[in-house]
Amino acid sequence: MTKAYGRFLTAFFCAFLGGLLVWHILLPDRAQSETENRTLAQLPSFSWESLKDGSYTEAVEAYFADQFPLRDGWTGLKARAEQLIGKSAFNGVYLCGDTLISQVETPDTELVGKNLGYVRRLAENTGARVTLGLIPSAAEVWKDKLPAGAESWDQTALLAESDIGFGEALSAHAGEDIFYRTDHHWTTLGAFYGANALLEALGKESLKAEDFTPETASANFSGTLYSQSGVHWLTPDTVEFWVPEEGLAVTSWRNGKPEEAALYDRAYLEKKDKYSAFLGGNQPLCVIKNENVSADAGKLLLIRDSYSDALAPFLARRFSEVHLLDLRYYRAPAARYAAENGIDDICVLYSVQNFISDRNLVLLTQ
Amino acid sequence: MIFSSLTFLFAFLPLTLAVYFLTPLRWRNLVLLLVSLFFYGWGEPVYITIMFLSILIDYTHGLLVEKYRADDRKARWFVGQSVVFNLLLLGFFKYGDFLADNLFLLTGVSIPASLTLPFGVNVPLRGIPLPIGISFFTFQTMSYTIDVYRRDAPVQRNIVNFGAFVTMFPQLIAGPIVKYKTVAAELERRAHTAEQFALGARRFCVGLAKKVLLANSIGALWETCLAAQGAGTLTLAGGWMGLLAFGFQIYFDFSGYSDMAIGLGRIFGFRFNENFDYPYLAVSVTEFWRRWHMSLTSWFREYLYIPLGGNRGGTARTLRNILIVWFCTGFWHGASWNFVLWGLYFAAWLILEKYVFRAVLEKTPAAVKHSYTLIVVFVGWGIFAMEDLSVCGRYLAACFGGAPLWSAADGYRLRSYAVTFLALILASTTLGKRCWERLPDRAQKVLTPVLMALGLVVCTAYLVDGSYNPFLYFRF
Repeated sequence: MTKAYGRFLTAFFCAFLGGLLVWHILLPDRAQSETENRTLAQLPSFSWESLKDGSYTEAVEAYFADQFPLRDGWTGLKARAEQLIGKSAFNGVYLCGDTLISQVETPDTELVGKNLGYVRRLAENTGARVTLGLIPSAAEVWKDKLPAGAESWDQTALLAESDIGFGEALSAHAGEDIFYRTDHHWTTLGAFYGANALLEALGKESLKAEDFTPETASANFSGTLYSQSGVHWLTPDTVEFWVPEEGLAVTSWRNGKPEEAALYDRAYLEKKDKYSAFLGGNQPLCVIKNENVSADAGKLLLIRDSYSDALAPFLARRFSEVHLLDLRYYRAPAARYAAENGIDDICVLYSVQNFISDRNLVLLTQ
Repeated sequence: MIFSSLTFLFAFLPLTLAVYFLTPLRWRNLVLLLVSLFFYGWGEPVYITIMFLSILIDYTHGLLVEKYRADDRKARWFVGQSVVFNLLLLGFFKYGDFLADNLFLLTGVSIPASLTLPFGVNVPLRGIPLPIGISFFTFQTMSYTIDVYRRDAPVQRNIVNFGAFVTMFPQLIAGPIVKYKTVAAELERRAHTAEQFALGARRFCVGLAKKVLLANSIGALWETCLAAQGAGTLTLAGGWMGLLAFGFQIYFDFSGYSDMAIGLGRIFGFRFNENFDYPYLAVSVTEFWRRWHMSLTSWFREYLYIPLGGNRGGTARTLRNILIVWFCTGFWHGASWNFVLWGLYFAAWLILEKYVFRAVLEKTPAAVKHSYTLIVVFVGWGIFAMEDLSVCGRYLAACFGGAPLWSAADGYRLRSYAVTFLALILASTTLGKRCWERLPDRAQKVLTPVLMALGLVVCTAYLVDGSYNPFLYFRF
């Protein structure tokens, strides 16, 4: 090796490491990542205490990784490299042709048993009728799309506990776009089939697809699975709104007190997290009142996760009031809420993936 | 801090290089000492005290050995003191819990979690976190006093130079075990040239790619096979795939780390000894151990096996010495019975090869010998990887017919990892090296920066994504 060539390689190596360091320092820190839909770690403040217990250096490492220049480009590059060497799983998400499907890990059976028990206890505590609705994830309904031999927990046995036949209803339409390709939620079409399964279980008249004129709210939705997997090269999803807002009054307790809200928060359509356009995303409590149906159509309380947001607009067609209560944020007893608001039906409505890992259902027993 | 982290690559290393090379020659050992202490303290700041203690005690003992050289009994006494100090350090931090647990099982005597001394000083006795790299640096400092006593190396009178040797961050936490005599001369005077830097940087990139792209990738497969054992779905094929995966993971992780250490050493002007020499090409277990973690085996040979008498005292003594050395080798890898068993497992094969198979092996075709060696070694990895011996037993039973042959999940795993396996197999041979050497000089010159850039870019992508990136030597 000649001296000149040695100098060249040395300079090259130092420029790569030092260049990214300088870039990192010059780059303004971001508060959150749109792509990953989460807040990013910030430079921690120093204290001797945090240095001693190791939390300071850990926080610095997290900050350094989160604020790394071109972060999204690097994660996308890694996904491409993995695809190139024949991988079909990307951070727990399977790439199945043009569709991303989240792997469901084998749950803690004890937790699942407890959660089922809590729902039964709720039925004992309230005068309202209680039903359990479990929504299968794409990994179950679209089992055939998964790479051959790829592991995902079998949801059949748990779905048999559901009082509402979401499993059958979705499987019957497995050939249609019932889940987003880049997000773990069901599409508006999937929610429509789900709504009819729920209405059937509660003895209500079903809805007809031809009564709706779908509105394309966005054709540029890249959801949670896009972020989690790093697979950034798929065509974005389309978000549709089916139920028109006329005649529906929405009240949100987003900020702790009742405020007028909308069925669709269109501001989210300009952001990454477009699914949150349905009712404006996670909140402790939300009530949809339908002025066009008679008061004896009944009042429904949904103990919700995010799947309910796309579903509730349909249900508002058949109930005078649909209440959505989130146990993660609403801390008063659900049974008392039902009694105070004259609720006729309580539906504990969870996606399987959330139900098997949720640790808030215990609040139902209050 | 570990080498395969963003903070090391893009903050610690460039800043260290800048400070080091901007400092005049005579202060560079001080810079090395200070940055190494920072490097060590990053994970566990409290344990910097162990470093200081270790430097002080071994430094003084070196001087004492030198001072009382004329009086051999005294000199030996000081060597002994230093060895005992290092072993106590290792014993307390690494083997304390293991010894206490087994003492309790054997005699029912239980060691309290902590001891309260007068004046309210509370000394924890159980559940103490293991200082990272303690097995490496205690062995290195032990070699110092012994080398001084044996006149293999001159005594070091400059405490900064000695401190730089003990804490030198390139090899501090995962080896190779650098004997004092190897670097004694370079601590006093060493050349820093662009050529050495370039060769070191190239070697570092090779090691980084081995660790991040090969070892981490296949390590994930081992985790799923182990999980399948736990879930009762492990098959015979899956069992062997898992053993292969772990064997490749530890080889590329460890040798990748050694490459990075050797490369970094070279950047700073040091020549460390090689630590691996294509171990999976070995055609006998004996040869495997001449090619695997060479700095450890040569340490044990030089400072334990030969002082015990080696093979010069007849068969019975040789057998005893082999068993002692391999008990220690196994135990060095972790404070758990499976590591002891792993060491003795290899002792058994080495003894068999030395006394029983020798004639047979000589007549056996190389391909058969190679397969036999790999099977012995990879089954050994099973013992090494599974601390719980009952899990280990069930896992190995599956590998030897106690489970269905094949499942659909194995097909999925094989498809997902086929390219990775192919890369691992080729990288375990000298093929890449031979092809590289055949390339014309010009092609090498063009390809070197291209491959380095490619390696650095892809490794960065894998590190930013925050995927599986374990540190395997936290038990060593």
